[in-house]
Amino acid sequence: MKKLLFFTFLLLFGWTAQAQDRVVTGKVTSSDDGSPIPGVSIVVKGTTKGTTSDANGNYRLSISDNATALVFSSVGLSRLEETINGRTVIDVVLQTTSESLNEVVVTAQGIERDTRSLGYATQNVNGSALAQRSEPNVLNTLQGKVAGVNITSSSGAPGASTNINIRGITSFNGNNQPLIVVDGIIFSNDVDNSQNTLFGSQPSSRLSDISPESIESINVLKGPAASVLYGSRASAGVIVITTKGGKGMNGKTEVTFNSSVNWQNVAYLPKLQNQYGQGTQNNYVNNSTASWGPAFGTPGFETVLSRQGETVPYQAYPNNLRDFYRTGTMFQNALNIAGGDQDNNFSATISSTIQNGIVRNSGFDRNSVQVGGNSKLKNGVKLGGTITYVKTAQKGATMGNGGSAFGQLTRIPRSFDLVGRPYKDATGKSIYFLDGQNHPLWSLDNEFYNSNVDRVFGNLSVGYDIASWLNVSYRVTADTYTDLKKQVLRIGAARAPLGQIDEDLRFRSELNGDLMINANKKDIFVQGLNATLLLGQNLNQRSTKQSGVIAESLTVPGFDNVSNGSVFTSSYENSSRRRLVGHYGQLSLDYKSYLFLELSGRVDQSSTLPKGQNAYFYPSAALSFVPLEAFKVQSDVVSYAKVRGNIARVGRDADPYLLQSVYTTATFGNNVASVNFPLSVGGSSIPGFQIGSRIGSLNLKPEFVTSYEAGLNLGFFNNRLGIDFTYFNTRSTSQIFNVAISNASGYDTRTTNIGEMQNKGIELQISATPVRTKDFKWDLLLNFTRIRNKVISIAPGISNSNITGDSFSGIAPSIAEGQPYGVIIGTANARTESGELLINPLTGAFMPGIAGQVIANPQKDWIAGLTNNFSFKGFTLSALFDINKGGQIYSFSQVDMRSAGQTEITGIDRDQPRILPGVIQNADGTTRPNNIQVSAQTYWAGLGGLASEGAVFDATAYRLRELSLNYSLPTSMLSRTPFGNVSIGVSGRNLWMFAPGFPADPEINTQGAGNIQGMDLNGIPTTRNYGVNLRVTF
Amino acid sequence: MTLFARHKKWVTGLTIACSVATLSSCSDFLDINQTPNNPTSVTPATLLPSGLVGSAFSNANDLNRFGSVIMSVTAGANGSPFTWDRYNTNGADFGNQWRFEIYGGALINYEKLIEAAQATNSNSYVGIAKIMKAYTFALTTDVWGDIPYSQALKGDENPQPGLDTQEDIYLGNSSKNVQSLFDLVKEGLADLEKTSTTNPGSDDLVYGGSVANWKRAGNTLLLKLALQISSVNPDRAKTIINEVLQGNNYITTNAQNLAVKFGGQVGSQSPIYTYTYNSSFSTDQLISTRFVNLLQGLNDPRLPLFVTRPSGQYVTIDNGFAGTPPVATSRSMFSTYVTGENGVGPVRLITNWQRAFILAEAVLRLGTAGDAQKLYEEGIKASMTSAGISDADITAYFAANPTVVTLSGSNEEKIKQIITQKYISLYGNGLEQWNDWRRTGYPTLAPHQNAVGVDGTRPVRARYIDQEIARNPNFPNNILQNVRVWWDVN
Repeated sequence: MKKLLFFTFLLLFGWTAQAQDRVVTGKVTSSDDGSPIPGVSIVVKGTTKGTTSDANGNYRLSISDNATALVFSSVGLSRLEETINGRTVIDVVLQTTSESLNEVVVTAQGIERDTRSLGYATQNVNGSALAQRSEPNVLNTLQGKVAGVNITSSSGAPGASTNINIRGITSFNGNNQPLIVVDGIIFSNDVDNSQNTLFGSQPSSRLSDISPESIESINVLKGPAASVLYGSRASAGVIVITTKGGKGMNGKTEVTFNSSVNWQNVAYLPKLQNQYGQGTQNNYVNNSTASWGPAFGTPGFETVLSRQGETVPYQAYPNNLRDFYRTGTMFQNALNIAGGDQDNNFSATISSTIQNGIVRNSGFDRNSVQVGGNSKLKNGVKLGGTITYVKTAQKGATMGNGGSAFGQLTRIPRSFDLVGRPYKDATGKSIYFLDGQNHPLWSLDNEFYNSNVDRVFGNLSVGYDIASWLNVSYRVTADTYTDLKKQVLRIGAARAPLGQIDEDLRFRSELNGDLMINANKKDIFVQGLNATLLLGQNLNQRSTKQSGVIAESLTVPGFDNVSNGSVFTSSYENSSRRRLVGHYGQLSLDYKSYLFLELSGRVDQSSTLPKGQNAYFYPSAALSFVPLEAFKVQSDVVSYAKVRGNIARVGRDADPYLLQSVYTTATFGNNVASVNFPLSVGGSSIPGFQIGSRIGSLNLKPEFVTSYEAGLNLGFFNNRLGIDFTYFNTRSTSQIFNVAISNASGYDTRTTNIGEMQNKGIELQISATPVRTKDFKWDLLLNFTRIRNKVISIAPGISNSNITGDSFSGIAPSIAEGQPYGVIIGTANARTESGELLINPLTGAFMPGIAGQVIANPQKDWIAGLTNNFSFKGFTLSALFDINKGGQIYSFSQVDMRSAGQTEITGIDRDQPRILPGVIQNADGTTRPNNIQVSAQTYWAGLGGLASEGAVFDATAYRLRELSLNYSLPTSMLSRTPFGNVSIGVSGRNLWMFAPGFPADPEINTQGAGNIQGMDLNGIPTTRNYGVNLRVTF
Repeated sequence: MTLFARHKKWVTGLTIACSVATLSSCSDFLDINQTPNNPTSVTPATLLPSGLVGSAFSNANDLNRFGSVIMSVTAGANGSPFTWDRYNTNGADFGNQWRFEIYGGALINYEKLIEAAQATNSNSYVGIAKIMKAYTFALTTDVWGDIPYSQALKGDENPQPGLDTQEDIYLGNSSKNVQSLFDLVKEGLADLEKTSTTNPGSDDLVYGGSVANWKRAGNTLLLKLALQISSVNPDRAKTIINEVLQGNNYITTNAQNLAVKFGGQVGSQSPIYTYTYNSSFSTDQLISTRFVNLLQGLNDPRLPLFVTRPSGQYVTIDNGFAGTPPVATSRSMFSTYVTGENGVGPVRLITNWQRAFILAEAVLRLGTAGDAQKLYEEGIKASMTSAGISDADITAYFAANPTVVTLSGSNEEKIKQIITQKYISLYGNGLEQWNDWRRTGYPTLAPHQNAVGVDGTRPVRARYIDQEIARNPNFPNNILQNVRVWWDVN
């Protein structure tokens, strides 16, 4: 045995020594300007042996005698294969490509793949397209840049969450946000709501803990085939983020410093009328929230008595709403130090974002430290790891209909001097025209929400090449944070007149252990057939804990501590833990680099499903074919072509603890009045429980998404024009859903497997470089997405059901048979069979509406984003224009302002009577046209109040999303300085917007990231951002 | 082969590691799905108070805001009461009541309480739960008419229960397996006679555990239910009332009132207190000018005890008033008689004076035993006592206002007198005031200003809940608020 080992040892090293007998050197330069290109990967063809070019583009590589060619590749550059032919110096010139079609991308589980081998769509976004865009939220910077992806920010509040869906909604009830993976770490992007989403503040979606400036690249894995190795949670797609600290290094120690300052202003407030003031029916009413009062200039109305009895001028305050906002600021600074070579390297980054929002008392601060490194030990073991600490502090105002700053802002009469008069008295009490409510400025001072997140995430991996064809690695990743949240409603707050402090503490952690065995073999069975086999195991644990207390009846004004409460109405504890064991395998076959087949399969076993039936298997197969390579066609026109197709299935487990029906601590009531057990009655504490409103199921099974995808990639004119087209069709079946049932059953929902949903869509990317000269280059990238979602069935006898979440009664975001996901079911106006609106003959207003009707569909018809990049010498001008076509928004804010006579349209011809459109039903069933004249007030109020179809608007928007101009100082100027690179730039965001069907910016979603979309329940309006940036490398 | 040999140990080691990590410990590793957050079974003593509070909320929260404003006791200044004041209602109005206070609140908890208590032979809990279940179902059918009843509260077994007619609910229908509300109460009374392994104590927020009082409450509930159907089925009503009179075990003192106690701290308070004094909805309603005028016209000594005067005057508005409402701090509101000191309540569901007025009306309408005049006086006195008026002052009032306290004229005129006094004494219980008004047409109420509704008439039912219609195809759509319920025939 010993002899055998020794012999083997000799053989191995002998072979190795024999192999490394020659050295090749050279320099890699750019075809654009002849400048050296660092970081280019140089690999001996047919081996894994390679190196990268250094900062000056130079490389040095030992090769064996039998090496025939070198392969040069790098992101953004065309791949080049150079025959060695006995040379020892090989200098090459690489073409930059507008859209690199042969690049290496990071796919599932960190596997690097040549894009040509992929039988599915992925899309890569370079970090430079995300950084310095006047936007602190990574997801927002992705808007318009990736086909198949729908991103909607929720408001202009600092740190507010952002919703993202890839290829539509695939789960009735589960999380439809994609899985986020940062440097191999499964990264929580959860939104932790303390409050009912109808009334609370807007918490962050936790990807906001990552700064766009820290990102090297993002790869979006769109379909189940691309993401199957991540298992259950990848059915909504995966966003693979590589940070600057997580990438490999290439030789030089480099220090990069970024700095930017940005300003934000409130944008796209609705146009308001300035002819009529506070009141109703042409009378001045000093506590009215409407502007149906007398016209300004009406004799006798020069001055009026305010609610407080003061004589005040009766005039328009045209900017009373706009002046409520201030200019927000954002300062971002980041310092990155990186060094080392391919095998041994390190990186450290510190970054800071300090943002002050557009209303006072709001902001978002984020500070992070990241260190990481990789090392290859002498014994061949590779080690790598990163660890990041982030501290994020968010502060925001409360929102929502009624008793909040933003609930009141839509009810400010045109003659109310919102910011010009005192809003509080000497004792600090609010001065306002509406009893029981507070001046919005008072609310900003005294009703607020804080979130303080301390987050640590990191990974550690160990890898070893057992043989040149066999690698084993183990990676442990952890992501954990605490979020100390606090909502303060000081004494006098409309929603809690005696004051309330909600202290809400959250903890979340996720641990993953991944074993991966990677084997590859060339020329198996036949010459030119290469195979890669991956076997993996994943152990996953996710834990959450939430505990807190609600203190009420505060005693000391301004003392925002729960000890200030004299009554504690709620103390709570909720924790969850779930585990999953996954085993997976993937066999990739590559025949002569033109035909590729990938077969994958994964078995998951989940703690959240019933014992004995908690394991489930799902497979995928992907095929791609590169005809030009196959038929050895050389063409000046068509430079690249690939057809691809795949079929995949992904299973998904349930949330924890859905199997049983449980009891909960009893609470009764609504926002009018409520009690929480235990009750304190007559000096004793009376506990009370009630049966939970959900019925559990002991027979729960996993839900599945099955997807079919076909695509075509084409490159023309040396890839100066590239087209990437994808068609997909996914079916979601056996959905784990809390089906709404009749409340007369005693329950609200029951958990069960039901239903079917379909998403069909196309994605198109067109990339082009229309102009390229020595100094000037114009690149453009068009992304187009069109998705049709349809709920095919729910459950027998159930044609619609509410989506889990908070909703006002009568406005229910729902799934409905035959309709797209997320339609809003509410009260539709009564109509005749031919669809004419029915008018009440007594009043001239609409007849009482019909409940339970689909009144809005928030899903967009299509989305398109066009990025134009112009570079001239050191200047780069980049503009992103995007269109969100269709989709409807249910807006309390706008209907509130319209029915109250504030918006511009209500001021036009106000003194003229008008007639609501519709017909009046005669006794014999026939109809006659409505001829009943009503006042402007009746007319506009009659069109619809809060809970009606009148509150539904078209959300189509055309937008100049981003505009940036950067200037890089020429290297010649810097040669005598310590700087390697200096660039300065200006950027703007959301600079122009046109929404033909909505009086303001329809990109608002007060329910935040999640399955409920298309609701504007008195949120914070969007902002227009602009700023200047500086980047320096040493 | 040689290559493998070198790594054999590695490969074996890895295989073992995999196996250890997964197979052998898998069942334990994954066996963590028992919720640490909620119990899966609870005792009767924790279900009874939540059921009772659920019933109290059903009666006294939004439905009382509605009932009181519809009955011209309060007037709407803003929000929902403003809308209701103009007779406008819609199917979103009482969604929370239907979902979380009635079916998903009180009723399902009584159902679970019956299950838990029967399992341990805790018969007194079973009896109380059945009586309160009957009370709450009666409240629901009185408001909405036909409702899910015999098929309701069955969870998974019947996620979309069908409706029973109000007639079947009150009278029973054996061919459809519908138990009469009267029989449900009687079953509960029978359970109270059985021995019980455990008995309620402080968890009984009504009687503190007095089973004897619950028997009185059950019998008095029978009287209330019987009178409710007296116009459509006088024979059945008379039979029931006679049975109860014969048993002679009903509420006869104010201390026996079926009234749910609350606490004096935020989170424990009576809903009426919260929406009157400690909610962003507190400015929605104030006392109606009409109610104040009615009591002033009768020289009623209860007025200052019922209605607050923060500014020293009665500051009220008329029903349907469209102008600027008075400053919130000056408004006349429900007094502590209704809200209790700091919100302790109680929420009075069935009272001694209500019983006296029921029996007085039954004498005149059905010819049951008793002296209508004496019962009428008893009702007024009990109400005045409860409001805090001394016996001497009551005597003085009776002496000074003989026309008020003496029944006179035709039977119908006497009934009008009875219901008018009953209306005053039911102050704070808008639903019962509305029930009587719909059944008898008394007291005579003038139309509200700016009334719209469907046809300008006062609502005689609540519209079905939109959400329930959407979830349950058994519900008819669009039965408007001007359609009478079964027992409302005149």
